[in-house]
Amino acid sequence: MAGRGGGRGRRMMSFSVEAVCINRGESLPPSIQQPTPLFPVMEQKPLPLTGGEEAEYLLALKQEFRGAMKTLPFFIQPTAAKKDVERYSDKYHSGEQTDGVTDWSPEWKRFPKELRVKKPCRNGLSAVTRSDKPPLGQNNNNNKTDKEEVLLKLETLQKKEEPSSEEEEEEEKKKKQEEEEADGEEEYDEEEFEEETDYIMSYFDNGEEFGGDSDGDMDEAVY
Amino acid sequence: MTAQEVRLCGLLLREHFGEVVEKVGTHLLRGGAQNLRIIIHETGVPLDLVKKSLCVLVQHGACVFSSGRKGAGSPTEYRTSCDRILRILRYPRYIYTTKTLYGDTGELIIEELLQRGHMTMSSTVKTVADRLTQNMEGQYLSVCINQGLSKLFSLFLKVFLVLRFLFFVEIEYDKETAAVLIPPFLLEGLCMDYGEVSNAFSKLVETHFLQRCPPMVAAGAAASAAPATPATPGTPAAPVSTAPPSPESFPDCYKVPHMTLVGRGKRQLCSEDGEDQRNAKRAKMDSQAHGDEGICWQVNFERFHLHFRDQAIISAVANKLDQTSSEIVRTMLRMSEVTTSPTATCTKPLSANEIFRSLPPSYNIARPIVDQYLTLLVDDPMEFVGKAGESGGGMYVVNLHRALANLARATLESVVQERFGSRSARIFRLLLRKRHLEQKQVEDFAMIPAKEAKDMLYTLLAQNLVQLQEIPKTPDFAPSRTFYLYTVNQLPTARMLLQNCYKTVANLIERRLFESRENKRLLEKSQRIEAILASLQASGAEPEQLTEVEEMITATEKQQLEALRLHINKLDSAENQVDESIFLLESYINSTASTS
Repeated sequence: MAGRGGGRGRRMMSFSVEAVCINRGESLPPSIQQPTPLFPVMEQKPLPLTGGEEAEYLLALKQEFRGAMKTLPFFIQPTAAKKDVERYSDKYHSGEQTDGVTDWSPEWKRFPKELRVKKPCRNGLSAVTRSDKPPLGQNNNNNKTDKEEVLLKLETLQKKEEPSSEEEEEEEKKKKQEEEEADGEEEYDEEEFEEETDYIMSYFDNGEEFGGDSDGDMDEAVY
Repeated sequence: MTAQEVRLCGLLLREHFGEVVEKVGTHLLRGGAQNLRIIIHETGVPLDLVKKSLCVLVQHGACVFSSGRKGAGSPTEYRTSCDRILRILRYPRYIYTTKTLYGDTGELIIEELLQRGHMTMSSTVKTVADRLTQNMEGQYLSVCINQGLSKLFSLFLKVFLVLRFLFFVEIEYDKETAAVLIPPFLLEGLCMDYGEVSNAFSKLVETHFLQRCPPMVAAGAAASAAPATPATPGTPAAPVSTAPPSPESFPDCYKVPHMTLVGRGKRQLCSEDGEDQRNAKRAKMDSQAHGDEGICWQVNFERFHLHFRDQAIISAVANKLDQTSSEIVRTMLRMSEVTTSPTATCTKPLSANEIFRSLPPSYNIARPIVDQYLTLLVDDPMEFVGKAGESGGGMYVVNLHRALANLARATLESVVQERFGSRSARIFRLLLRKRHLEQKQVEDFAMIPAKEAKDMLYTLLAQNLVQLQEIPKTPDFAPSRTFYLYTVNQLPTARMLLQNCYKTVANLIERRLFESRENKRLLEKSQRIEAILASLQASGAEPEQLTEVEEMITATEKQQLEALRLHINKLDSAENQVDESIFLLESYINSTASTS
């Protein structure tokens, strides 16, 4: 098809000229040499928006709805990006995000089982120990609880020796029946306690004993 | 699921549910039915966030799940569709319609259900009662308790409050900062009773604006959570159906459950001694079950759409003819509300006698005049009303599908008129009427000079509003021996304009987000200053402190804030308006789909 038109000379085109109504006098429109403008000029200006009470009320409803949705637990924030440096304002920011997330508990009967999410907590340790405690509390298998709890504590705390972990584990077992908060506090206390020093607290000797001993032996020389 | 629809759905999800849900949602929209592992793998979102997003989507009805395609053992698959998410654009219209029909109580019920997806009746009633009580309280506590005012004014306000309490009249309140000490005994009685809210809820269910969610039957295995049909509870190997059952396929869809819920709405600021007893009572009531656990309610969007369609037809008749004809059409539609199915082409035939009897009593029209109006309506080229027989003084129907087609046609014509001018619109209307015309005929019929007609036709052709149909005289399609006819196809043009509307709304939302992002710092500053002002006012500060705080925003910043607010309001209103066109075009396209 393309060859047929080309042989007869450049003035002829492959379609009949009159059908497309390009008369003799006119020329083709000039070729475009740059991309079309981003916002071309509009020949007809658009109509203004309908105002009125109804439109304003609808507008207010829409904005209120949007604002309300942002506060509901359905608005899921992405996990906070890893901080490069710990900042002073973090302790003020961390309270904001986790407020509404756990407020909503859907009716799990209407949802597939695989979507069930365990209640998230800030303290990774207490979550797992909490879920571990009911099944493990039944069988007093010391070795199992020992290993698991030690493994978990190794993630968040520094290394400890066996005896001290057993001690704490016994303490926790005693308080197993109490409420979770008390447990959490207990563990938190221990952690805080642990974190401050590098040494096992039970092995630490207070200065008082030391001072008392030296006071008694005043006549002997101290090297 | 076109690209424009997916983009718009993504933006709507981002605005209402956050970016994580947007990511998961758009992935599901683009990819079809997928199971959990694939979603996690392909979106890269952590497991628990994906689970939460899916829960949110299922809660709001945007996502449905079913057991996998390979049989009972395969993992559950999740599917999303655009329609449900695009409804979010129309939420303000639903809420406003309920307000006009059922007042503030209905409005808040629908708003709560739209915000939460689906809820049980008891929790809805409680939340709405609390909100209404707080609203009532808010009206009176907006009267600031700072300084005393004249005794006369306080007395007047007291009488006003008592009247409000006794008669629950819908009086508008204005936010003047008058100052009056409100006696506590009046505040005690201003609680919304649960019974009233339950009544409003039942009324909404009776008129089908609310419906029960289809019940789920979780089979024993964790993987198969297929929705069960009530007709086959016993068959163990039910075939896996890809389409989830509609809520209407269940017989109890519109039955209000019997529940025991007695009480009143709670007030947040109960700091007085007399309230402690009531607080104890309320705490006891909250813990008891209300007898309707497991029955969740959702908003029935189809019913709202039918209502909007009727409104559109009535207002079109009122614009084209007159108020009385529109009243007659409104009566006919009201009478056939219950008897007409949602996808019916026209209403059931109504006799002229029935119509005359059911007209509202305020219209004292004689019987022969009603007949004349009906004849006028039938003869009108818009064909809203048709005659179906002669018995009973003439049987008349409202042609629903034809009315929708005409409304869509009017929308297309107005779009062409506003974009290309009235002469192009004339050509467009001509082609709609005469179907196929040659170029010469177009010039003659439209009475437009040849050159301009040619230009306009080519512009419309370039925009794809007009199509070219070639009819060859010889089999080789030689241009000199072929007829070229211009034509307009209404349905494909309507689809194209609908996609344009979606693109428009998406652009509006993006622009609004851009404007907010650009001026984020300014917005945050103004919010902080408002919070400071509010706290200062509540704790009682002198005017100098208030002016000092207000001056923290400079004059130019105030101007900028004003301009920003104006822009954002304009963009939001524009979205609402485009949604009206979307509704008309969607209804038209759906009506043709069901008949064809």
